[in-house]
Amino acid sequence: MTFIEKTTDHRKLRRWEGNIEADYIYTSGLAGERFFTELRKNGRILATHCPRCDLTYLPPRMYCERCLAELRDWKEVPATGRVEAFTVARLDEEGHEAPEPQVWAFIKFPGIHGGFVHIVAAPEEKVKRGLEVRPRLKPQPLRTGEITDIEAFEPAEH
Amino acid sequence: MRKVAVIGAGMTLFRRRLMETPKELCFEATRMALDSAGIELKDVDAVISGSAPDGFDGVHMKGEYYSDGCGAYGKPYMRVFVGGGTGVFSAISGWYHIASGLADIALVVNEEKMSSCQPHPQSVFAHIWDPILDRPLKPNLIWIFAMEMNRYMTVHKIKKEDIALVAVKNKRNAVDHPCAQLADPNITVDDVLNSEVLAWPVQRLDISPPSDGAAALVMASEDAVKRLHVETPVWMKGVGWCIDSTMWTDRDLYFPEYVARAAKMAYKMAKIDNPRKQIDFAEPYDPFDYKELHHMEGLLLAKKGEAPIMTREGVTQRDGDLPTCPSGGLLGVGNPIAATMGVKIGELYWQLSGQAGKRQIPHEIKTGVTNAWGDLMQYGAVAVMGV
Ligand SMILES: [Zn+2]
Repeated sequence: MTFIEKTTDHRKLRRWEGNIEADYIYTSGLAGERFFTELRKNGRILATHCPRCDLTYLPPRMYCERCLAELRDWKEVPATGRVEAFTVARLDEEGHEAPEPQVWAFIKFPGIHGGFVHIVAAPEEKVKRGLEVRPRLKPQPLRTGEITDIEAFEPAEH
Repeated sequence: MRKVAVIGAGMTLFRRRLMETPKELCFEATRMALDSAGIELKDVDAVISGSAPDGFDGVHMKGEYYSDGCGAYGKPYMRVFVGGGTGVFSAISGWYHIASGLADIALVVNEEKMSSCQPHPQSVFAHIWDPILDRPLKPNLIWIFAMEMNRYMTVHKIKKEDIALVAVKNKRNAVDHPCAQLADPNITVDDVLNSEVLAWPVQRLDISPPSDGAAALVMASEDAVKRLHVETPVWMKGVGWCIDSTMWTDRDLYFPEYVARAAKMAYKMAKIDNPRKQIDFAEPYDPFDYKELHHMEGLLLAKKGEAPIMTREGVTQRDGDLPTCPSGGLLGVGNPIAATMGVKIGELYWQLSGQAGKRQIPHEIKTGVTNAWGDLMQYGAVAVMGV
């Protein structure tokens, strides 16, 4: 049965309200702990390697999803990656026009499986597939061991 | 239907809070199960996972999120959930994947990370209630268990001391379990009776704790058992599952009829007509101490009201005539909802294959039964396993 009241505000209908009173705390896990600690302390981006499948996972995992081996072989990710795909977001999360269009990209690195989806700090007209980019980290004292320690990726300078 | 065996099992520590992500918990249990079965991921045809509502881990679609840790990449995969019943039901789902001929070897992986949920997982449990009839009264899950426990005690004139014996037995049994969260070699009935009253007659030590953890099984067809030369397969002899009225006001709380119906379904398949004689040991689901007794009666291992007497007489001790919860159960090992599969189906596998170590029942055992219980306390899943 449909409501017959003519309203577009559902709160004007007879209703019961509910609220699931739950907050969450998450752990970064065993692989995540090493990844974020290295990023915060030394500004290095690490990946894990499966010798059996010859895959190097970024972000690093403690296991290989293809063969379920435990991964113990850690490698540093090359400094320069490439834009694999990108989009330009024009509206913010509330649906309003954003002050600046924001470029989001999927960034891959040579020899690495996976990669990052992250912000690209560059004018949209400069961004294209294959653009070489490098991470711009927060200064060490300001880093907290989170993915936002990478502020953005910037076009690599040659 | 084809015969199905469990050929390997694994489980993580059960703890109040673990550092591993849900994916990593799944990986650790799954890797152990594969190693225990002596197979590799490439040998697996299908993956089944069981886990409680996403609200506990705090990741929506968590079955998909952690599936890579279960070894599901590139394979047929599904998640099943029937409340607390999932601890046994996901193994039943693994069974029908193989019994049907769809898969020869299946992985079953159950996971729970309840510590993510703050301030307490109770705030998620509170939303199993009807939002209009019940929620405005702000009920707490423990209250309904307290009413069920009280009804059971009243109908059969059971003393609280006799129920406390279950908590004592299971927490002591758990001392021999390497994954246990709440083992206590010195606990006494007085400790239980003197613990904090939460909602009479439920006291703190009558209840299992919320936990983080994962458990995994490798299940195989008879053909695969032969091909792999498995020395100690443990066969799924019978399975059953049943849901009662969703209105808990429409059930008589003193006897779990839905467990009895699920048990009869499983016993029929297993060709068991006298469970008390033909079942050698049991892992009844024990999130509360009275539930072990309730479930022994539902599983037709005891007459109505008889389970506390058997407990008092020592029948259910590990060296008794009908050992129950030799693992230490949820009361002693912990209660990461779906992952309790490790102390239910997992314990039946380890006991029946002679791999239970210090927990091994000292006399010969050939057949065991387990159940898990859940939803709004009206879902029963039962499995009979044997050699
Ligand atoms: Zn691999």
